[in-house]
Amino acid sequence: MNAMTAKLVVEGLCHHYPDEYTGESVHALEDINLELYEGELVSVVGPSGCGKSTLLNILAGLLPYKVGKASVDGKVIEGPGPDRGVVFQEHAILPWRTVSRNIGHGLEIRGLPKEEISRRVQEYVDLVGLSGFEDKYPHELSGGMKQRCAVARTLCADPIVMLMDEPFAAVDAQTRITLQEELNRIALATKKTILFITHSVDEAAFLADRCLVFSARPGRLKQIVTVDIPREKRIWENMNADAEFIRCRDEILRLVREEVSVAIEE
Amino acid sequence: MQSKSKGPSLAWRFQRLLQIDAMNLVILIIGVYIVWSIISALIDNPARYLPSPIAVALSSVDMLYKGLLPSYFGDTLMRLISGSIIGLAVGIPFGLVLGINRTVADMFHPIMNFFQSVSGIAIFPIVVIWWGNSDKTIFAVILYTAFFPIAFNVLSGVREIPIRYISAARTLGASRFQVIKDVLLPGAMPHIATGSRLSIGFAWRAVIAGEMLAGQQGLGWMIFTGQDADRTAEVVLGMMLIGVTWIILDHYLLRPFEADTIERWGLVQR
Ligand SMILES: Nc1ncnc2c1ncn2[C@@H]1O[C@H](COP(=O)(O)OP(=O)(O)O)[C@@H](O)[C@H]1O
Ligand SMILES: [Mg+2]
Repeated sequence: MNAMTAKLVVEGLCHHYPDEYTGESVHALEDINLELYEGELVSVVGPSGCGKSTLLNILAGLLPYKVGKASVDGKVIEGPGPDRGVVFQEHAILPWRTVSRNIGHGLEIRGLPKEEISRRVQEYVDLVGLSGFEDKYPHELSGGMKQRCAVARTLCADPIVMLMDEPFAAVDAQTRITLQEELNRIALATKKTILFITHSVDEAAFLADRCLVFSARPGRLKQIVTVDIPREKRIWENMNADAEFIRCRDEILRLVREEVSVAIEE
Repeated sequence: MQSKSKGPSLAWRFQRLLQIDAMNLVILIIGVYIVWSIISALIDNPARYLPSPIAVALSSVDMLYKGLLPSYFGDTLMRLISGSIIGLAVGIPFGLVLGINRTVADMFHPIMNFFQSVSGIAIFPIVVIWWGNSDKTIFAVILYTAFFPIAFNVLSGVREIPIRYISAARTLGASRFQVIKDVLLPGAMPHIATGSRLSIGFAWRAVIAGEMLAGQQGLGWMIFTGQDADRTAEVVLGMMLIGVTWIILDHYLLRPFEADTIERWGLVQR
């Protein structure tokens, strides 16, 4: 029963950012509990500033936390590690490495033999559709291609959980739609466990098996919306006529709207 | 966007460079030669105040013949090369290590900025007080001069590397050493190139100044004693050699290295 194995578990996680000047602190996250099951794509939506990136940085091991517990495969998160791969919002592929050397970076760090690396790099170059661009440098790529490269880099390192922080927010609308469909295809093909953060309701509903809606700051888990659409059927062309998609999207939209108005009233 | 790898070959670019340079150079040399000859012909006692180009050429032949010129020139170059290499070899890792920790980097940044701005010549007197007029003094000043600009530039370079590059490497499982090797070092490369050029340029000035103030041989020594002994042709010859050597070094070695590193990764928008 692999389907019910929790790969990522978060229990009672809180976070405060200290403010050295005023002595007050920013309450970013409050009592977060969540579980990510194997092969599941969970999206997190919430108003801007509700602590989504904070959650992701804690899970990535980049931000130390004091209250609560977070673990991957039973191992408590204490710092960054290759068991959690991250795709950042901004282009974080290294400008001095070619596409293939960026994609193979994780394996290189692990010290795998060259032939093994190039074989696996080629696999992911093909998967994300970057064939022919292997020897290009990032500045020679479009925004969408850079993010494909970033996704391939994370996948190639074969993490247990993939963490994505608004990875498609910086590309144009047309490219974003293509990237969303590609990620859906990749999720289907690789069965990766993915936590996908976004502020776009459409994106959250399109990609998620389950969508976690966060409240305005301090971020709390407000509600979970389950999106019951087989991945094979998830193509934007079909979605506008898909009753389940429309129901989920409208539900998420309603929940997020409530929180945005709360944030405005404050 | 044009691909860099399909651009003109290095050999082709070098040839192009030579052609353009050759043209400009010939015009420049002829121009300088004419103006210089005229001035020299118009003044009284040119041998003392400004010997003609031909007189300078003759003195260089004379010094070549005596073996003094190659020996002085060799001494000066050796000082530059050894001082620069050691300065860079120590300065680059030093800047990198200081840059790793943001708090340490912020703390050291003004200190390094202070030292890189106090020129080698300004520290000469104190070093002479410590070690007298010696090779040790000259070498210490060259080393000092080469060290701080590169260390400061590398430190600045590391500080400017976006944190997300470091985070990305760490989430791929990179160790501290791997972060230095794969992110900090290549990320600071444009600054390393610029810093090296600055360091070597300042070191070149320091070599000459050092030899003038504390030397027993070298080009700096040659122009200094030339003045004492009324051998103006030697002074002019020395000055010319200093300038020409730098131009050659800078134009054919340091500048191409700097431009190539900065351009290759598209770190600077063209
Ligand atoms: N390094 C930090 N120091 C202090 N406050 C921060 C820091 N990072 C984020 N915050 C604050 O914490 C809250 C949550 O931020 P973030 O997690 O980035 O939100 P989101 O990604 O949902 O937009 C915001 O109010 C933000 O201003
Ligand atoms: Mg964010």
